[in-house]
Amino acid sequence: MILTTATAIGLMGLACGGALALAARFLSVREDPRVERAAELLPGANCGGCGYAGCADYAKAIVLEGAAINLCAPGGGEVIGKIAQLMGVEAAAAERKVALVLCGGDSGNAPRRFAYNGVADCRAAHAVDGGDKQCRYGCLGYGSCARVCPVGAIEITAGGLAVVHPGVCIGCGACVKACPRSLIRMVPVSRTIHVLCSSRDKGPIVKQACKVGCIGCTLCAKLADNGAIAMDGFLAVVDYDKELTNEAVVEKCPGKCIVQRSMEGATA
Amino acid sequence: MTSYLLLIVGAVLVNNFVLTRFLGICPFLGVSRKISTAAGMSGAVVFVMTAASAVTWLLQTYVLERLGLQYLQTIAFILIIASFVQLTEIALKRFTPKLHGALGIFLPLITTNCAVLGVSVLNVQQRHDFAEATIFGFAASLGFALALIIFTGLREKIDRADPPRAFRGVAVALVTAGLLSLAFMGFASLVKQ
Amino acid sequence: MKTLRSSFKVPGGVHPDYRKQATRDKPVQVMPLPALLRVSMAQHMGAPAVPTVKKGAVVARGEVIGKAAGFISAAVHAPTSGTVKGIVDAPTAGGAVAPAVEIEPDGRDRWTDSLKARPDWRNAEAGELVAMAAAAGIAGMGGAGFPTHVKLSPPPDKPIDTLIVNGAECEPCLTADHRLMIEHADAIREGACIIRHILGARTLRVAVEDNKPEAVAAMEKALGGVEGDVAVVVLKTEYPQGAEKQQIYAITGREVPSGGLPMDVGALVENVGTCMAIRDAVVDGRPLTERVTTVTGTPLARPGNVLARLGTSYADLAGFCGGLMSPAAKVISGGPMMGLAQHSLDVTTSKTTSGLLFLSPDEVEAFTSLPCISCGRCVEACPAYLMPCEISRMVEAEDWEAAGWYDVMDCIECGCCAFECPARRPLVQHMRQGKAWIMAKRREQREKG
Repeated sequence: MILTTATAIGLMGLACGGALALAARFLSVREDPRVERAAELLPGANCGGCGYAGCADYAKAIVLEGAAINLCAPGGGEVIGKIAQLMGVEAAAAERKVALVLCGGDSGNAPRRFAYNGVADCRAAHAVDGGDKQCRYGCLGYGSCARVCPVGAIEITAGGLAVVHPGVCIGCGACVKACPRSLIRMVPVSRTIHVLCSSRDKGPIVKQACKVGCIGCTLCAKLADNGAIAMDGFLAVVDYDKELTNEAVVEKCPGKCIVQRSMEGATA
Repeated sequence: MTSYLLLIVGAVLVNNFVLTRFLGICPFLGVSRKISTAAGMSGAVVFVMTAASAVTWLLQTYVLERLGLQYLQTIAFILIIASFVQLTEIALKRFTPKLHGALGIFLPLITTNCAVLGVSVLNVQQRHDFAEATIFGFAASLGFALALIIFTGLREKIDRADPPRAFRGVAVALVTAGLLSLAFMGFASLVKQ
Repeated sequence: MKTLRSSFKVPGGVHPDYRKQATRDKPVQVMPLPALLRVSMAQHMGAPAVPTVKKGAVVARGEVIGKAAGFISAAVHAPTSGTVKGIVDAPTAGGAVAPAVEIEPDGRDRWTDSLKARPDWRNAEAGELVAMAAAAGIAGMGGAGFPTHVKLSPPPDKPIDTLIVNGAECEPCLTADHRLMIEHADAIREGACIIRHILGARTLRVAVEDNKPEAVAAMEKALGGVEGDVAVVVLKTEYPQGAEKQQIYAITGREVPSGGLPMDVGALVENVGTCMAIRDAVVDGRPLTERVTTVTGTPLARPGNVLARLGTSYADLAGFCGGLMSPAAKVISGGPMMGLAQHSLDVTTSKTTSGLLFLSPDEVEAFTSLPCISCGRCVEACPAYLMPCEISRMVEAEDWEAAGWYDVMDCIECGCCAFECPARRPLVQHMRQGKAWIMAKRREQREKG
């Protein structure tokens, strides 16, 4: 009895297995095994920060379409290194970057010019008469960036200003795309001096619009060594690729818009 | 002819595989977030259930009953269904990569789906002949598709609404499924089975 | 010439309190020249015009100060003679900031003669007349501001056989078109005939709502001698009876396809003000330099219909009407349904400023919106057969593709849904968000090639 059972099942199993083996042999589609390996190496968060529809898609793109291997910000240097090994290329070491909102205009510093009574979304508010803040370039504080952050790293303060917590930020860049005023910038974690303003208006206009706005006096650009701060019209912009050690720019700024702030935050 | 019609109505409405027999709940809850994925899943299920229904009937009649091995039914069915689905996936990948891209990801999900095994076993229990078995399998899969698509439509709307935090996601989905099941009980006395 | 009484009811639609009594019987007043005119380059749909004058230039009335930039664009002209004080960035009614030419009037109001009049327009070719419309900077004065010369040049495979002159003015509080029809019916008629001649349209219809009997009578009289298939159509008073696609369906029974244009069904709609502007350009050689605006509202001392030069600030308009007797909580450019709220009275009139409405604090309510209860009132009210409740929820969930499938692009932003919503949801704003996202996506795809 046991023998019949065992033989029957055994034969059926063999038959099925054999059929599958044959199929695998003759009907298989050649697929690069590196795709699966690359997918295993990636973090698997599917945050989309690399620009592809999830980790599996990015793995495929790396192996089959030659996509850049350093697009995974959450994975960081470790993952990039491993993928570089897999693909047999040099790893382009990229320092970890976190998001920073380049605006300091909360309700205490930057007044609103009319009562906005509509959808609480920054893109919607921006479309209504250019936004309800006096400053045309400042943070509207309705939370579009906070809502899109996959890890909840962005807080809208009581004063209506978006602030990123660098320790929580995984650097996926979703907030950068969500902000209708392009206020958010990805900055390397090692940099500590930042110009918290994005207003391109002339000095007198900025002074009326915000207490901590950049008035375009160019003092910081002159004080900073090796051009680490450059003027873009009436706005001072930090070049994060350059080393900026002259901390005097923070006190000397008449607009009070340059701050010294660590981007490390709590260790992950 | 009428008996086939009764079979179909019975499988789709009166004894719906998902909502009355409670088989195939996994994909029902797992793939019901978007209509496009639900449609893809339905297509795959229709194909697999119909084919599996036919193949397992043949296995039962010409192998298991001939050799007196009916007690091996469960194992044998699972073996055949799993291999068959795997074979289908390989063939699809080779001959119709586009279709494989659309439906292929769902095939492994259906392999151990209890609805597929369920329809095969029911065919034996209810002593269907070959034609009835195939039609029953087809109708069962249509019933699954119907339940899945209705449920997905409901879920899409609920996902956009604002349920209380404790209910978000699967919780409210289960409540909805229960209510949908209750609704389908209305078909109970449509066909005497 | 016949008068047709239409029993057509807009699908959905609402009946707001029309409140036209304050200004409907007040004849148009001509406003004297203000101290400064600021003429925006963005007064029309499409690319803003490019300034062609510099600071210090002396210009005559009707002289080109901005030339059209691109296919869908219009020229801008000096509203009076004077000196250019400068080119500044000025806010527009829509909230965007655009270049504007500031002109200080010299009081003489000298006309330019750069546009040659063509009183014998019946002998002119369509192309020549369209070029005159372009040279005169005429844009749709009903509110959309679409460059008229582009509208009057449909592709050869889309001939127009029906011209509809839109005198419905369904927006509450506005009476500018109403007064134009009563006081300038002949000019409107001539303009309509010119457009009809350009298009070669067989049928001419003038649409007026039945709450304007004097206007109906005036248009009937003016159209008396016009040849061919001409009629005044009296439409039931309803909002939005003046909406283009709905009006075409009411008058011709043809439905403009989803995502399509009126020319797809061989029809064209022009506002009465635009018709008059065409007539002034062709018969008198005068580019567009002024328009009638209804300035009204309870806080205003003397509401009225004002003929003001383009580029007149809202503050000056209010001042001409006696100023505000009490504070205004809201200022709207346009009507209360589709108008745009303003935060500054420094904005100046443009070709599309049909109204300026001041609302007192007890006429305005700051609302908080609640979740949608699926009551369906918005679906019943929508004149475009859409489901605003569904689209609104999709936009809130940021499911933009689903919003596209539910035809958010067909929304005419009339406001009927928001008007009806018991949960006070910002439905029109949601529609605009959905449209903005879809247009951005289309632009992205066009750029990708």
